[in-house]
Formats: sequence, C-alpha cells, structure tokens
Amino acid sequence: MNNDNKNNAEPVRAQKSLKATAVAGAYQKEWFAGLKARVEKGEDFGYLNADVPMEILRAMDIPFVVNQWWAAICAAKRMAPKYYGLLNEQGYRDDLCSYCATAFAESLDPDDKVSGPWGGLPDPTIAITRLTCDCQSKIFELFAKNHGSELYVMENTQPRRVPPNWWELAPDRWEELYDPDRLDFAVEELKALISFLEAKTGKMFDINKLIEVMNLINEQESWYKKTRDLIAETQPAPVTVVDTINAVMQAQWQRGTRWAADHAKSLYEEIKAFVDQKRSSVPNERLRLMWLGRGLWHDFAFYQNFEEKYGAVFMWSMYLAMGADAYIRNNVEADPLRALAARYIGMEDFLHMPPWNANWFLHEAKHNRIDGVVYMVPENCMQALEGSYFVKKTLEDAGIPVLIFKADPVDARKWNRETMTGLVEDFIETRIIMGGKK
Amino acid sequence: MSIRVCARDNKTFRRLLEYYSDREKAARLFRKNGGKVVGELGCDVPDELIIAAGMFPYRIYAGECSHLIEADRYLEYSFDPVVRMQFEKLTDGTLNNEIDYLAISNSTDTLIRIYLYLKEIKRSEPEKPVPDLEFIDWLFTRRLIHQTRNEFTVRLFWEKLEEWSGRKITYKDFAEAASICNEDRVAIREIMKLRRAYKPRVTGSEALVIIGSAFYMDRREHAALTRQLYEDAKKWPEINGPRIFLTGSAQENTELYELIENEGAVIVGEDHDWGERFVNRDCNLGYSPVRAVVDQYMMREFSSKKAFVSQRVEALDREVEACGAEAVMFYMNAFEEAASWDMPSQRKSLAARGIKTRAFTKMSYPVSKNSALEPGLKTFIESLKG
Ligand code: SF4
Repeated sequence: MNNDNKNNAEPVRAQKSLKATAVAGAYQKEWFAGLKARVEKGEDFGYLNADVPMEILRAMDIPFVVNQWWAAICAAKRMAPKYYGLLNEQGYRDDLCSYCATAFAESLDPDDKVSGPWGGLPDPTIAITRLTCDCQSKIFELFAKNHGSELYVMENTQPRRVPPNWWELAPDRWEELYDPDRLDFAVEELKALISFLEAKTGKMFDINKLIEVMNLINEQESWYKKTRDLIAETQPAPVTVVDTINAVMQAQWQRGTRWAADHAKSLYEEIKAFVDQKRSSVPNERLRLMWLGRGLWHDFAFYQNFEEKYGAVFMWSMYLAMGADAYIRNNVEADPLRALAARYIGMEDFLHMPPWNANWFLHEAKHNRIDGVVYMVPENCMQALEGSYFVKKTLEDAGIPVLIFKADPVDARKWNRETMTGLVEDFIETRIIMGGKK
Repeated sequence: MSIRVCARDNKTFRRLLEYYSDREKAARLFRKNGGKVVGELGCDVPDELIIAAGMFPYRIYAGECSHLIEADRYLEYSFDPVVRMQFEKLTDGTLNNEIDYLAISNSTDTLIRIYLYLKEIKRSEPEKPVPDLEFIDWLFTRRLIHQTRNEFTVRLFWEKLEEWSGRKITYKDFAEAASICNEDRVAIREIMKLRRAYKPRVTGSEALVIIGSAFYMDRREHAALTRQLYEDAKKWPEINGPRIFLTGSAQENTELYELIENEGAVIVGEDHDWGERFVNRDCNLGYSPVRAVVDQYMMREFSSKKAFVSQRVEALDREVEACGAEAVMFYMNAFEEAASWDMPSQRKSLAARGIKTRAFTKMSYPVSKNSALEPGLKTFIESLKG
C-alpha cells in the first residue's frame, strides 16, 4: 500500500447525489469569478479566518474570502503537497497548522496566478483573524505581508460561566449564555473592527444593513434546523455527510445573502422530496455513524467506504448541525451588534470546550439515533484540542462507542486510506456490532 | 563552565541553589506556619498580588515525572511534554500537598486548554484532587480596549485572592509587595550585568539559578541574597568563549545550559520565562495598583507565544544586541509550535546582522532524551570558535 496519496493515480472520488451540492459548487465558482473582477477593478478585498464575524463585511459589501473555505478548495485541488514543499523551502516546518497555513503557503508560490486553484487567490487588501490560538496571528501576519494586505486582529476571551445546553439558550436567551462583561467586550471589539473597516475602505457601516444580514442568516439557518431534524428523524437516512457537508459549508460562507438563504431552502426541499419518495442514500442502512472533527477534505469518498459492507452510514457531521443550533439569534433588531457578538464569541466554546461540546454531541447522537462515533483529532492543531477525553466519556457513558484517531483534514500526505479503513472496520465490527447494540 | 566551583563555594549562591533545587522547601514551611500557597501555571500570574494577599506564590514546574497516567488519560497527544508533566502533578495529587490554590494565566493556548480541562474535571469528577483554580484571561494585543479589559481581569483576580486569603488587599499591602518584587528585579538585573559584560563573570547556568530561585523563596530574602551575591560575583573569574543567546522553549532547569556551556560557550541571555524575561519590566508604583499590574504584564517584552512574527523579530534583534551575543540558538520542544512560525524571519534578520544561528526543533523532554543534541551542539560551538 502506498501511504502517499499524491503518488496514487486518481483517488476514488466521492459519489454525491444532491443537486444542491452541485448548485453550490457551481455558484461558488461564479461568485469567485465575480469577486476577482471586483478586486481587479480596485475594490478592497478581505481575507478572513473562519471565526471572524464576517457579517460586518457582508453588511458593508466588502468582498471577502474565508481562510478555511479556501484551504478546503486548495485541498480538493490537491495543492497541499506543492504548498507544503514551498513552506519547507523557505525554512518553515511543513508539518504544522496545515489547515490554517495553506493560504500562507500558497502565497509563497510565484506561479499562483497561473497554476493556483481557480487562477489563484487575488491579493487581499485586508487580512483579519482572531487570536484563538498562538499560531494564528503569526500565520496571518506572514500571509498579509506576502500579499501586501493590512492585518487586523481580534481577541478571544475565555468563559467563566458555562451553562449546560447552550443550544437551547442560543437562539433567544443568549444573554444567559455568557458572562455579561464578555459580551460587552465583544461589542467593543466589533465597534473597533467597524471603525477600522470604515477608515480603510471609505464605506459606511449601516446598522440597518446588518439587521438585514442577520435576518437572512436566521432564515438560512432555520432551514438547516429543519433539514437536520428531518435527517435525524428519518431512517434510513435520506442523505449522508458526503451530500450535506459541502452543500452546507459552501453556503455558510455565503451566509447573510439572499442566495444562501434560498439555497438552504432548496436543500431542505430536495431532501424532503427524497423522504416523501422514500428514497434513501443507503437503502441497506443498518448503522448510523457520527463524524466528529473537521471534514476530511482530501478524501470524501472515505465516508462511503462502509456503506456496502456494513450498511454503516456517516449521516451526521457538525457542519449541518452547527448551522441548525449555533447561528440563529432572534430579535436582532433590539441590539444587532450584541446579537452578533453573542454569535461569534460562542463558536469556539460550543465546539471546542467541554462540557459544551460533549453535551451537545450526546444530545445530537441521541436525536440522530447514532450507533457509533468516529472522531478525528488533528495532530498539529492546538485549537482543535477540545477535551476528547470528556467527549468520548460522555458518549460512551451513554452507551455510544467512540473511535478516536489522528489525521489531518487537508494534508493528504499523511493519510493512509487502507489503514484508516481497517481501523474503522474493526471499530464497527468489534465495538458496534459485537458491542451488542445490533 | 556551567555552575563553577567559585559559585558552588559561595555561601550566598549555595543558599539560592538550595531553594532552586529543593523547590518545595519554602512553600512547605510557609504552609506549616499557617500560610496559603498559590501555585502559578503560566508566566503571567502577578506575583505582586499574591504576596500582597499574604500568600506565597509557587511556580508549577514539570520536573522529572516517572509516569504520565493522568496526562495520557485526559490530554491529547499534541500537548507539549512539559505541560503534560505539570498536568500530571496537578491531577495525581502530588501538588495537592504543596499548594492550596492554582492560578493559571493565559500565557499560551495550551494553558487555556489545561484550565478548561481542569475545570471540567472538577465539575464532572469532583473526587479528583484538583485544587481550586482561577484563570487570568490576559489579552496581549496592544490596544486601549484590551488594556481596559485587562484591568477588569486583574480586578477579578484581586477579588479571588481576597476570597482565598480571607482578607482585603489594601493599597499598602499592594505597594509593599510590589516594592519588594521591584527591588528583587532590580537586584537581579544588576547581577545580570555581570553576565552580559564584555568579559562575563556569571554563566547562563548560574544566572538561571539566581533568577529561578526567586520563584521558590521569600522575595525579600531573595533580593537581599542577590544583592550580596553581586558583590561576590564581581570577583569571580572572567569567562571566555562564544556568546550565545537562547530562544525558544522555557528551560525550567540548567540541564540544557550546562550542556552548552560545557562545550565552551556562554549563554549571555535568553527570552524565556525562567530566565531574564522575568525581570523585564517593573511594577510602576506611580500608577494605580490595577493599572500598574496591567502595565507590567501587558507591556513586557513580547513572549514567543503571544506576539506577531514582526514583533518577535524585533524583540530578538534587540535582545541579542543588548547582551552582545554572537550567535543565537533556537531550542523548541516538540508540540511547542508557535515560535516555529517566527524562526525563519528571525534567522533571516539575524543573518543580515552577521549573527549565526542554529535551530534544534521538535526536541524531546527532558533534554537528556535527545541523543543527537550533544554532537550538534559541539559542531555549532566549534564553528563559533573558529
Ligand atoms: S494551531 Fe490550529 S487553529 Fe491555530 S493556526 Fe494552527 S491549525 Fe490553525
């Protein structure tokens, strides 16, 4: 077995069945081309890390690209080996922060405008990140320097108060989720960001536009909630994570637009039609699997490896479920900036902090009637360390077996599909099937 | 070289070495006399406030840990080895016998995780011997809103210390504690001049002992001993050999320094928190107490964890120049990654100034586990002598 994917001929491609995924794929290309045209005309262009409150830029109509989205595009285009080689050449380690450093590595490529994905990344004039890990500011600064962009950073504070069941409080009672001083401070940070963007771009931030954006997001995420609930409650599942991850993630980066809200609705309707027609993704579904961790961008087909042999279907990932539970903030009009603050500061906590993440995963596992959990913990990311012990314990105490393994979401070099398949097969056989559940 | 006979034979140095080696000695005595000890995890816990509250600050260190049962259970593999051992001692009961409370500062990501995990252990497994803890959520971005937020954070810590100690911290308490700590820093900086001198009279290993003993003894006594030692050390023999500046992972003991200095080089400076970074900035008593504490910890020289690459490049250039080093050694433990992003730019800038560099990355802990280290050091130091 060759453990180096880049040397394989064409790897197996995932089979996707949803129109919405294809539509989103086509749309993002078109959107990116439009964005490039705007940048070429001299408009300011922002490059943001995923945890930056992009709603502000959306409301100000500043075109932007999200780092993690772009890293996934680079990974899907199998650029990672080339980029990590460039890091190495310049004296950087090539085994660190692959997810966040992809775009910086790309910025070292002199041929990017010719051979980069989709004609390469245009030069951002603004780069914004949050200090949610020690490496982030450094990587973003290096990236910004190579592109000649202005760097802006936002801080990150830690919760003192941790009420359980965040997903119940988030939409309406978000004031109760956080220490009030954290929210106050986050609002201050938003105001500072707005001042920076106004000065930099010459555009005015209009609070009414933000309300519009926030409400469009509420609309979009409400469709995800319906979709998530529908999939959870339908057995066999109408779709798998291979269908939903890309359809949702691509539209999430467009959140706050009419297109994204409509797309979310079309996704729901398409899946609902499947359910009405009693169509399922894997008709012989016997086991429902949950995927914890970031998407396996370089090998989506992996998720489908266990369908034929075991009827084991990866039908849950955080991408759809976070949309359903983490984004909606009702009554935006009362205080739009505070509502936004209550969204963006929580994302890290919800996903990466025990017991918030563990409790939610368990809640979702029960709701989705999950038989087993496969949990990918990246080796080289401090931020993705999220108390996997507590997550595993919480789920297993409730009778749901968990397999934890190390892998990298974008770096295909370290991925050995055969070994990983063996690991999951063994888990299915010994922990789920023989474990007495089925 | 390393710790020389002149130092070992010196009564004052021996006393500091005693506290540096037997790190629990003073804390135990303090507790025995009814005092409370606050363990510090992370290098940005304000000692001044702990002392002002009448308690004893004790810096958590990894040391030698024969087992990592708890760390392996709770921590993912990418926690660095030093933190793993510190965590082990905090969860297996070892430190419960030494400290009453634990204060963790947001000095690096890893410690945020440690805080969250410990908090969750306390909540979900209350039978575990984890002490009461408090997190100091510093923000290191230098803008007014962050400074203001830090003042809030310091006030929270202040209140927590009052709760722990059962007494109010008055302005007088604070001013007295801050003055003692300032005095100690002045004394340390003074003796460090002998280390940075054109002809150094204090080695890097000796410097680590002088600085590090402060974390484990009464500060007033430490200041007095350091002042006394300065007079003696002025007469210690001069040290020859290539002058090296060390950057990267913190060195909790002299092991690495001794290896380097045994090859004939001398470490004239470092930027980690068990070395001179500790005495980098004083508490400005012209400010109100909370502001003084914020100023001191927020505006110190940039740490490798919480600063931009450009800031770290400038900081290293500045520090290397200040101590007249001719070479810089980067030494980074495995999984302590942040500084790796600074290194290529730092090396470039140093090379432009004619400073030689050598990097040792992904190192195992303790230092002795790295069999290739010694030959690597030898070659590097020989090349500097040439
Ligand atoms: S530690 Fe993780 S979140 Fe931080 S820069 Fe690296 S990969 Fe990104």
